[in-house]
Amino acid sequence: MKTKNKVNRRRPSQSWRRRLTPYVFIMPNMAIFITFIIWPALRGIYISFFDSTDGRTFTFVGTANYKAIIGDPTAIEVARATATYVVFYVLIATTLAMFFAIVVNEQKFAKGFFRAVLFLPVMLSPVVVGLIWNDVLDRKVGPLNALLEAVGGGSPGWLIEPKLGMIAVIFVGVWVHLGFYSIILLAGLQGIDRSLLEAASMDGATRGQIIRLIILPLLKPTTLVIIILATIHGFQSFDFIYTLTGGGPFGATTLIVQYIYDHAFQVPIQYGLGSAAGVILFMVIFAFTALNFLLGRKRDAI
Amino acid sequence: MKMQSLRSKIAIGLSVVLSAGLVATGLPSAHADTSGLQPTSAQLSAWKGKEITYYFYNDSQAELDITKAQIADFQKLTGATVKLDVIPYTSLDTQLQARIAAGNAPDVARLNNPGLYQSVSLNLETYMGRKYVDEFLKGSTFQVTDPKTKKLIGVPYDLSMNGPIINVDQFKKAGVAVPTSWNWTQLIAAAKKVQAANGTEYAFAMDKSGHRFSTILSQFNSYMVDKNQRNVLPQSKTRAIKTLKLITDLYKADLAPKDLWIGSGTKYASPVAVFVGQQVPVFFSGNFNLATLDSTAKFNFQVVPNPKEINGGGWPGGKFLTAFNSSKTPDLAAYFLHYLADTAQMEQMDKGAFWLPTRKDLVASGIKYPKRAADMDVYLADTGSTPAAAYGIQSVPTLTGLIYNYLRDLMTDVMGGKITAAQAIDKQIAFIDAQLATLKK
Repeated sequence: MKTKNKVNRRRPSQSWRRRLTPYVFIMPNMAIFITFIIWPALRGIYISFFDSTDGRTFTFVGTANYKAIIGDPTAIEVARATATYVVFYVLIATTLAMFFAIVVNEQKFAKGFFRAVLFLPVMLSPVVVGLIWNDVLDRKVGPLNALLEAVGGGSPGWLIEPKLGMIAVIFVGVWVHLGFYSIILLAGLQGIDRSLLEAASMDGATRGQIIRLIILPLLKPTTLVIIILATIHGFQSFDFIYTLTGGGPFGATTLIVQYIYDHAFQVPIQYGLGSAAGVILFMVIFAFTALNFLLGRKRDAI
Repeated sequence: MKMQSLRSKIAIGLSVVLSAGLVATGLPSAHADTSGLQPTSAQLSAWKGKEITYYFYNDSQAELDITKAQIADFQKLTGATVKLDVIPYTSLDTQLQARIAAGNAPDVARLNNPGLYQSVSLNLETYMGRKYVDEFLKGSTFQVTDPKTKKLIGVPYDLSMNGPIINVDQFKKAGVAVPTSWNWTQLIAAAKKVQAANGTEYAFAMDKSGHRFSTILSQFNSYMVDKNQRNVLPQSKTRAIKTLKLITDLYKADLAPKDLWIGSGTKYASPVAVFVGQQVPVFFSGNFNLATLDSTAKFNFQVVPNPKEINGGGWPGGKFLTAFNSSKTPDLAAYFLHYLADTAQMEQMDKGAFWLPTRKDLVASGIKYPKRAADMDVYLADTGSTPAAAYGIQSVPTLTGLIYNYLRDLMTDVMGGKITAAQAIDKQIAFIDAQLATLKK
């Protein structure tokens, strides 16, 4: 009886400790996350209902900042440019990342070298990337146009024509992140059981059929991750664009984050309006991510 | 001797003109009634071990090097430490406004738009006395005089003057004489001829700046704001349209670096690298680029007089030193500012970085520039012939940056064919009206 009583007294204590332990482990991380991410985000939502030109005095304006954004023709242009950028960026980046992942996966010679080359742009500072491509794409003295002129391709104004400006930032955006997405997909590819591919090959499946009917379906969860990441990166693109085009030509490459930056940090400062635009960006990214995730899960269930 | 005499005349003329500029804008000067700042031994012992932050941007390496040397001397003198925060010019106001909003303002800053910081600037008269302002050229203190309290909230650190700089080697090769006086038609014709003879990419380049373009507007007798804070652009609308068209047409015709201007979005951009790379023979900029050119250009260049149309001369500008009222050691911050702007330090900086002085004593004695003295004389002469109306916009120190930047962005739209020059000027008029209306609220 004595022993039984002892056991009964210890059990709740051990159980409580066991339940608490994981929370203790994640507590430092959560403390940092709450302090530097959650709290500022909540403050941002709060500030979006105020007007402030100096960050020290705030006047409550209700939803006026949101209404101002909706009624701002520049914001409409920015939304259009952002949508264009995100759609093409996600499509091109995902497709090319898949292509390069498959190619690199089958590489027999200098495997490490090609992977390093593919990943190299990821390691560059986005600011530097913008500056480098600004030089490369210069209409008169840039090496790209020198090359194009040599083959009779003329001298396109990459940085002064609105449509070409958008093409340029999409290209550079893809160039920057391609290696990152490819490496993730490569990891997914290497997780596919080789015996499945060998069996298909022995059954007479062509290379195309193997990719289309085996590799792509099995890579679906990884591809979904890439699409979600690319969508988030697309909406958040700013740094390299700012140094590449400054949002020009004529605002054609001013995306939502630069719109936020311009209003929140450039004179005349409008912290409330910048915060409201930030909240809108958060809601859009959240909605797209949730949609991607739900559609992906639905397809998996089918 | 002859040159010295010329400089003295120019210096006296400069003083008179800047004083006239003050009268023109109607801003009062502070009346002297107390003595200047002198640190006491008690202050010196209290400052020992204290640290202040100096928020600084530089146009040239020379400015940075001299500043570092002066800080080292100041630290020896006071026992205090000065932490130098070097900020790129393009993000100067962005970063400073964010720091102030976050309650992390520096103690002292070098600014080009001090009007933005009026409400957080230290009243220097508390520390320096009311006489202190009289040490500076009156015209140069407009932007650091609080329009409401009339107190001195900063110090004019240097005076800048806009104007053309030419590649002398390319001019010689083209057989075009270095101009001693010219108008815009002659400037453009010469630039095109030199471009053709040397095969340069462009004929003309200017800083992407509404401030720089205002110089040309002034030469065509067109101004945006007068001394009474009124929008005067409608009065010279036709001339403004003509001037805007004159410059934007150069860009449209690829005679000027369109990529640099349009391709940098809404950011400031300077074609200094284009000029250094000998891709353009005429660079419309100012004395603030002289030190950089002097150290980097591998060819002969020279400052030439501003073109004269209805008016000659350049456009006033400058940099300012401001201390912030959130400083934990405001007396030390004020003394540091006083130190940087005293006669010896300013003379050292002016000589090394090709700045124009703002102190009356230096203007009176004249700065003996060890290099490029002839170039500096051109700037001094242009300062003397700058019309008083050019100082009018300084009557709205909180709006100058906004008005210049809006004009710059409209120029971009005209270059891209999005709007006409006439539409741009109409928009600028409406914008100035809207901005001036905010002052009345």
